[in-house]
Amino acid sequence: MSITEHDIVIIGAGVAGLTAGALLAERGFKVALVTKGEPTACLSTGCVDVCSHDGNPLQSIKNLPPEHPYHLVDKRMIRESLNYFQTAMTDMGVPYKGSPEQNRLIMSALGTFKTSCLVPSTMEAAPQDDQESLHIITFQGLKDFYPGYIVSRRNHTKFSVFDAGMTTTMSLASRFEEKDFFEKFIAWMGTLDIREDKIAFPAVLGLESADKIVGTIAKVTGKPVFEIPTIPPSMPGRRLFNALKGFFRKKGGDIYWSWPVTGIEKTGDIIEAVTTPSEGRPNSINGKAFILSSGSFVGGGLTATRQSIMENVFHFPVHVPGPRETWFDNDYFSMNHGIGRVGIVTDASLRPADTPFKNIFVCGGILAETEILKNGCGHGLALATAHLAAKSCVEYLVP
Amino acid sequence: MNYEHCIRCTICVENCPVFRANPEFPGPKQAGPDAQRFRSEKEKAQDGWVLLCSQCKRCEMACPCGVEPAQIILREQQRYGKEHPQTATHLLFANNYYLSTLGSLTAPVANFIASSKIGKQIFDRMGISTYMPFPQFSFLTMRSVKKTRGSQRRKVAFFYGCFINFYRPDIGKKIVRLLNALNVDVVLPPQWCCGLPALGNGNLALAKYFAQKNASSLSDYVDAGYDIVYTCTSCGLCLMQDYPGILEIPQGKKIAESSYDLHEYILKLINEGYVQPDFHEVPRRVAYHIPCHLRALKIGYPAAELMSSIPGLKYEIFDDHCCGLSGSYGFKKENRDTAVQIGHRAVSVIKKTDAENIVADCGSCRMQLSGLSGMPAMDPAEILCESLGITLKENKNAK
Repeated sequence: MSITEHDIVIIGAGVAGLTAGALLAERGFKVALVTKGEPTACLSTGCVDVCSHDGNPLQSIKNLPPEHPYHLVDKRMIRESLNYFQTAMTDMGVPYKGSPEQNRLIMSALGTFKTSCLVPSTMEAAPQDDQESLHIITFQGLKDFYPGYIVSRRNHTKFSVFDAGMTTTMSLASRFEEKDFFEKFIAWMGTLDIREDKIAFPAVLGLESADKIVGTIAKVTGKPVFEIPTIPPSMPGRRLFNALKGFFRKKGGDIYWSWPVTGIEKTGDIIEAVTTPSEGRPNSINGKAFILSSGSFVGGGLTATRQSIMENVFHFPVHVPGPRETWFDNDYFSMNHGIGRVGIVTDASLRPADTPFKNIFVCGGILAETEILKNGCGHGLALATAHLAAKSCVEYLVP
Repeated sequence: MNYEHCIRCTICVENCPVFRANPEFPGPKQAGPDAQRFRSEKEKAQDGWVLLCSQCKRCEMACPCGVEPAQIILREQQRYGKEHPQTATHLLFANNYYLSTLGSLTAPVANFIASSKIGKQIFDRMGISTYMPFPQFSFLTMRSVKKTRGSQRRKVAFFYGCFINFYRPDIGKKIVRLLNALNVDVVLPPQWCCGLPALGNGNLALAKYFAQKNASSLSDYVDAGYDIVYTCTSCGLCLMQDYPGILEIPQGKKIAESSYDLHEYILKLINEGYVQPDFHEVPRRVAYHIPCHLRALKIGYPAAELMSSIPGLKYEIFDDHCCGLSGSYGFKKENRDTAVQIGHRAVSVIKKTDAENIVADCGSCRMQLSGLSGMPAMDPAEILCESLGITLKENKNAK
């Protein structure tokens, strides 16, 4: 139950929602962010993919189909949004490396490469080709990380195993932030005779101070050190979420957890409040403008039944590319599943199309025609459209 | 209990403080929805590790799919408690209310025994951890507060909770004065333990017994036009969620609809224009630790909202860490190491700031954090009182 008035209410705590929130709070607006749970950013590799079609992500955006929502954001704003992100993350102690003009590779747990743009500093040293020799350090019993996969793909690659007494990424990350453990670990590293060019770790090197931990290991061993993202629980994803959340709060935003929006209050074409069910009184939060950044299917913004696809919060019309047969390609690994194009269509200011409402703007993964997997544009698109949604919000509130 | 909605994304596991500290606990995903698929009413409860869950509810706050792992585990804890012999500690802490009543009646003797060497040995034998000094029983409990008759428009029945009653009645009295200063009449209805300790120790029958007694007392006050105000966030969560939920109290819904967190209530008074408190400067730098159960109440952080109107007060919000004590959880010897490890983590992030005080709504959070950090810990209501010039002699548990 919020009895306080907010200028802006944001629905969804992902990269898009938190970024738009921080921008608006920074401008002096009173911002509330409501969320059903934690975002899919926590499950991600933490890397910001902008557009992974060719070497220069900003250039390759031009070649996306004309209906792609990237085209609503001008190039300067896209660049600005990436710079803003990098500054914010550095401020929060989770620095990101890379340039909006150049894609780079990060190594996967299978030894393959993934194209991304801005990457956590802990992955900066990842090899960009098959030439460099690697020494992988892994942990006794760590689930879902088998260095053998990488070793089988690359020449000159060895691995060593440390017994930390822990077998999950989360508990290992906790231990790395304990002084005694870290000293013991560094002493063990000293006993290894590492002759390879670089040292690789699964991404478990701390949660709050990964940048420093990687720095320390690199300094002690005299070799470049990098992390390889793991399947969830993904520490780099969580670091990203924690840092963005901290940044939003630092700018003065309020967060309401476990607050699934299930209804709205409106007068004519203006949304006045969003509501959530409650054991006690009906819970509502008032706002003058709203941002919908509730994500796609996994994030909880969209639900698919056998016949139709719904937007969960406002029941806005959802763009579906065709009948159900077109939603999925027969080839599972195909990049052309029609379902990737599903989402909310908007006007140039990110107002949802075919709805009467004037004071709501949509950003992030819930937008239509994104084809995020195919285009490699998840977090980058979230950042860019968050900036545009924030701008539209300001223009609406301060005409 | 929507365990079928679990997509196994592990966001809950990332948020589980116990999982990070204790490898024995398989985490909310496995203990909750995963195991639930295999549980059968026809079979005896098998998984003793459900007792390792501290019921912080962080998993429920994080789940993007509306699964309630803590609720699933809570129900299994009750079933396990019913089908297996209870340990002495579980029985003791479930009945904490009666013990504390006895302790307060015999305060000087009870405190002497509890702090003596022999007393500690006895506790140790009984499986109670003694890493932290027990709070001292207060001989004069809230029961001794004199009744006042008023004629204000707003009338409050104050559910003060065991912690305030037995250990910090000085804070309880301050809260009564604070509400009086805001033109609100306060009565102290007949009340017992909310039932949460019994629930947390697998004693559903005792929890129901307490809840029924409270419910019939409180519902009379609701009928007479009183608002119920609680100050302990865990008592509050029990009133709001468990009375109408697992405890199946017939008046539960009515009580939940009329119950408010103290700060939520004060904010409501301010926003409705009922009062305009004149907050004076409080030159303090505080770390505001958000109790897990305040998050779970879904009301935002109303005390933070109030503190933001106090001139001179600098506060930073910490809501990523559980304090680890979780009521009686950390007092059990088998949970000691887990509780201490979780607590140190919460303290370490606070220690990185320049805060001089810890502020937390929950008495046991304050006990744990101040015990582990050596920093003084206050109730947010004490800050409000300081700002409004309401003073009272502090008791010996204040640090």
